[in-house]
Amino acid sequence: MRIFVLSRYMLSLAVAFAISSCVSEKTWHVEEVVGHLPDLDFSLTSDKGHLVTAKTYENYILLLYFGFTNCEAECPVSMARLARVMRLLGDNANRTRILFVTLDPGHDTPPVLRRYVMQFDPEHAVGLTGTTDDIQNLTKRYRAAYRPHSKTGGTSGITHGDAVYIFDSEGQARLLATSADSDEDLAEDIRRLLGATH
Amino acid sequence: MMDLLYWFTPWEESVMVVAATGAAALFFSRGCARSKPQLRQKIYFWTGLASIYLVSHTQFDYYSEHQFFIHRLQHLVLHHLGPFLIVLSSPLAVLGAGMPEAGQRVCRFIADWKPVQYLLSVLCNPVAAITLFCGLIGFWLLPSIHFTAMIDWRLYRLMNWSMFINGLFFWGIVLHRGPIFSVSLSPGSRIAMMLAVIPPQIVIGAMIFFASSELYPIYTICGRAIGGLDALADQQIGGIILWIHGAMMSAIGILIVVRGELMRQKH
Repeated sequence: MRIFVLSRYMLSLAVAFAISSCVSEKTWHVEEVVGHLPDLDFSLTSDKGHLVTAKTYENYILLLYFGFTNCEAECPVSMARLARVMRLLGDNANRTRILFVTLDPGHDTPPVLRRYVMQFDPEHAVGLTGTTDDIQNLTKRYRAAYRPHSKTGGTSGITHGDAVYIFDSEGQARLLATSADSDEDLAEDIRRLLGATH
Repeated sequence: MMDLLYWFTPWEESVMVVAATGAAALFFSRGCARSKPQLRQKIYFWTGLASIYLVSHTQFDYYSEHQFFIHRLQHLVLHHLGPFLIVLSSPLAVLGAGMPEAGQRVCRFIADWKPVQYLLSVLCNPVAAITLFCGLIGFWLLPSIHFTAMIDWRLYRLMNWSMFINGLFFWGIVLHRGPIFSVSLSPGSRIAMMLAVIPPQIVIGAMIFFASSELYPIYTICGRAIGGLDALADQQIGGIILWIHGAMMSAIGILIVVRGELMRQKH
């Protein structure tokens, strides 16, 4: 009797596992990180010179990206890509914001950031800067590489990843997109996130 | 000078690491005053404890989070070198002597508790110990598990703690001569256990070294600490560390057990 109960329990566990793995595979195109990364929390200066926090962007789907305006490789490519995702979103882009957080606050002042993000998407992209400590707290929170204290000399020493952290309208970390994901997939996932917040 | 001190500040503060290393350091130094251990024991203990602290609670931790081969170095210390040195110092008697009376009572109470005794006897079973030692290395290196462990700070800490505790257990069983937790193993079986953990480490290390694609993209996604080293090179160095250095600790352990037995026969 005990063996029967145990085997039935194991069977139901296996079925539940199989179902959950099928469901989770089909839900999102990009990596799902819900529950693993903390909610958005920061206090920085926007490219218009205003002090902004995570609360400022409540009710928006946020695409958070770390970079710097002097970057010649990944940043322009990633920003152009995010701008294209915004075009794919159409009207939905109005409820979405790209947050470009600089890793070079010494050089990237609000006006420099404003000029930079304007080239990609003047309506939906916002450049953010702050003190080195504020920026480091944010990168540390999302496990992004940033090393302001080590002497590497100039911006050529700034190393950074290509992660786009996607937050829902309540500031909860939901997805982690990389350059390996296609723009269409990313747009579709954002649309789904927007749909869920209606 | 300030720059140098900065390297010793924690990258991410952990109360558990401070409490555990602080308590161990306190009890051991108090115990040293009472039970007069040999100099050799003191050197092993302090080197082992310091190495554990340095890789887990300084700026080194930043590099472990953002560079695969440094992560492997961190685990080499947490799972192999640190516990190995701590076990070599036979610290239990000294720590016990340095512990306050209440702490000793709590330890005795926990050790006498039946479920704990049962768990310990299972963990000290040679097959279980070998499986757990290699299984943990393999488990945390499964690409999907590794990805999640590197983005979730709670899992990251669980990973590091599990490696350290498992290291203490394994090296405690194989390097310790007398019965440990009422399990007594012959020198032959202890040597066999150390030999048995070599092939799985070589296989996992070689699989990582020879992989032609990036197995752990999380380091590229979140950014690498050291610029100029590409993803595959980083992965290959990490593979080599597991492949060669993991097995190396077994070789040293075997030599220590053999030497211990020869010395015993001489007397």
